[in-house]
Amino acid sequence: MRRLLGTLTGKAVAAAVRLRGRSAGQAMPGRVVERLVPGYLAAVLGQLPRGVVMVTGTNGKTTTTKMVVEVLRANGLRVLTNATGSNMTRGIISSVSQQAHLTGRLPFDIAVFELDEAYAPQVAAAAPPTWVLALNASRDQLDRFGEVDTVARLITSAMRAAGTGVVVNGDDPRLSSGAPTTGVQVERFGVAPELLRYFPRDDELVRTGTGAATHMAPATVTGELEEAAPVPPAPGVELLAFDGDRARYRVGDQELDARLQVTGQHNFQNGAAALALVHALLPDVPVRTLVDQLADVRPAFGRGQVYTLPGGAHVQLNLVKNPASFRQGLASYVREGTTVVVAVNDLVADGRDLSWLWDVDFSPLAGREVAMTTGIRAVDMALRLRYDDVPVGRIEPDLEAAVAVIAGTPGETVVFSTYTAMLRLHTMLSASAVKGTVTAR
Amino acid sequence: MTLHLVHLYPDEMNTYGDRGNRLTLLQRARWRGLDPVVHFVGIGDDLPDETDLVLGGGGQDSAQADIQADVLRKGDRLHQLVRDGVPMLMVCGTYQLLGRRFRTHEGEEIAGIGVFDVETIGGDRRLIGNAAVQTEAFGTLYGFENHSGRTRLGADQQPLGKVLRGNGNNGEDGTEGARTGNAIGTYLHGPLLPANPVLADALLSLALARRGEPAQLEPIDEPLVERSRAEAASRVY
Ligand SMILES: [Zn+2]
Repeated sequence: MRRLLGTLTGKAVAAAVRLRGRSAGQAMPGRVVERLVPGYLAAVLGQLPRGVVMVTGTNGKTTTTKMVVEVLRANGLRVLTNATGSNMTRGIISSVSQQAHLTGRLPFDIAVFELDEAYAPQVAAAAPPTWVLALNASRDQLDRFGEVDTVARLITSAMRAAGTGVVVNGDDPRLSSGAPTTGVQVERFGVAPELLRYFPRDDELVRTGTGAATHMAPATVTGELEEAAPVPPAPGVELLAFDGDRARYRVGDQELDARLQVTGQHNFQNGAAALALVHALLPDVPVRTLVDQLADVRPAFGRGQVYTLPGGAHVQLNLVKNPASFRQGLASYVREGTTVVVAVNDLVADGRDLSWLWDVDFSPLAGREVAMTTGIRAVDMALRLRYDDVPVGRIEPDLEAAVAVIAGTPGETVVFSTYTAMLRLHTMLSASAVKGTVTAR
Repeated sequence: MTLHLVHLYPDEMNTYGDRGNRLTLLQRARWRGLDPVVHFVGIGDDLPDETDLVLGGGGQDSAQADIQADVLRKGDRLHQLVRDGVPMLMVCGTYQLLGRRFRTHEGEEIAGIGVFDVETIGGDRRLIGNAAVQTEAFGTLYGFENHSGRTRLGADQQPLGKVLRGNGNNGEDGTEGARTGNAIGTYLHGPLLPANPVLADALLSLALARRGEPAQLEPIDEPLVERSRAEAASRVY
């Protein structure tokens, strides 16, 4: 009864929202269903034969969820997932009610949801997951979360709700120490020790790279090497090496090479997470097959997507939301001859506090310039770069004017952008891109 | 000339971009032809004999308990430096620990060293938003506050300034931060110094003056800072 009622309510509200000319109101149907039909989510998702899988963490949720969904689909599973950006409780309810039949029946085998860290415990309580994938906990939107420990606690609480198993980042001490120790299967993913320097943990973001390192007091250099953390068990899935678009993974005792469609070292790490999860879900599928299917996954929008514009400009759009993702983006996408643009907004969805930009090490840009800063905080972004000796060619707070400048710049441009600026840039770039050239959906 | 900057607890008190304060002092010193050296001083490390300027940041509430014992151990030395007029900028968590005491929301007592005559009580709601503070010495300061502690000044403790926007020490009495001699405690992240170069230069000047150097730093032409501050002035909480 709840299934039927909730589904009908959700569909009716969504139809009403559309009638009023609003674009697919993602939260509204969820809000109404949450109020009128408590218990809807558990009731409707309870019918899925393979249960609910939740993917959460600070960075990589969208891409990793896409990887898991597409690999499962490639193996014939019917997968229910949530729309990008609908990763809070109401968005999940909206997504589910839109995709259910009118009767409340869900024509799917399994659900894979990307979940905002803050909502992960809430959704996990409302609809107990079989598996939870915990990617990482890093400083992000501290105006919202207060501190990193809070983020880790939220993710840990979601992990504790898992009924069958947990996949956790073995290189993130805040999360791996919070993984359940009994009752469920625990799978770890990670990167080889020699690659760890490419994937700084949150606590390692601060000392590095201010140009002060050469003046470091000797006492500190030794202090820095002391790391008393207990040695964690070897991860079941490990990223062993990467170069360009190639990655090598170890799954159990097998080593496998792949040429991935997604680029960027952080996405190779996300690939390890996705592999660990799909391998646990599909233990009978040969690992080689899973890796090949993973290699076919294309980037999610705003995560390394490339737009070709009529004048011949190639524009790559990259979401940056915190020091970890910005550093990874700089390391992955800035090459000789690339024009670099940075777009920074400070709306609620971006994080209103831009303090984190000072924890980004811009030294990969040393010796070159940032062609333009744009967005609401274009001026402060330029000021930030000045303190890392990176000249800025132009400050253009208006995103539309910035797109016009980018369109007139031949060659490769890479745009690092915070969330709300990314959404607008994506809309404008998609509209002007040569038809069929946007390399991802 | 070599200027010795001490960054206190860089591994524990670093969550809100306070690294930017260090970077700002380093660069503004270099742009004036000085040779700044950074000493990272963590738990168990001693402050160097030559200390010209001390910086501390904010961190996780849990880190506060971790470093408390060490702050007490360094107490005498820090008091000595304050008496000697060494400029200090202590932001958020380190500001609290340089006060008399901190009582967490759960009722746990953390003793401070009382460089600032202030007491802090953990609140249940964090005070988070864009802040502006009027000061006599440095003009208007812009920053971003993010703290659960409510800090009260002792009868004779001078505040850093008066809240223009935001909550400051406690959201009630209109004060922000504290100042004891050349030591400044404040809740402003942002980080504080790049948005307020007048304060950065004042700290550098105080450090130089103590070393017997001409305290007047050549001005730096900063149209960007003017624009940034004009925008900050119109920002909402
Ligand atoms: Zn703070």
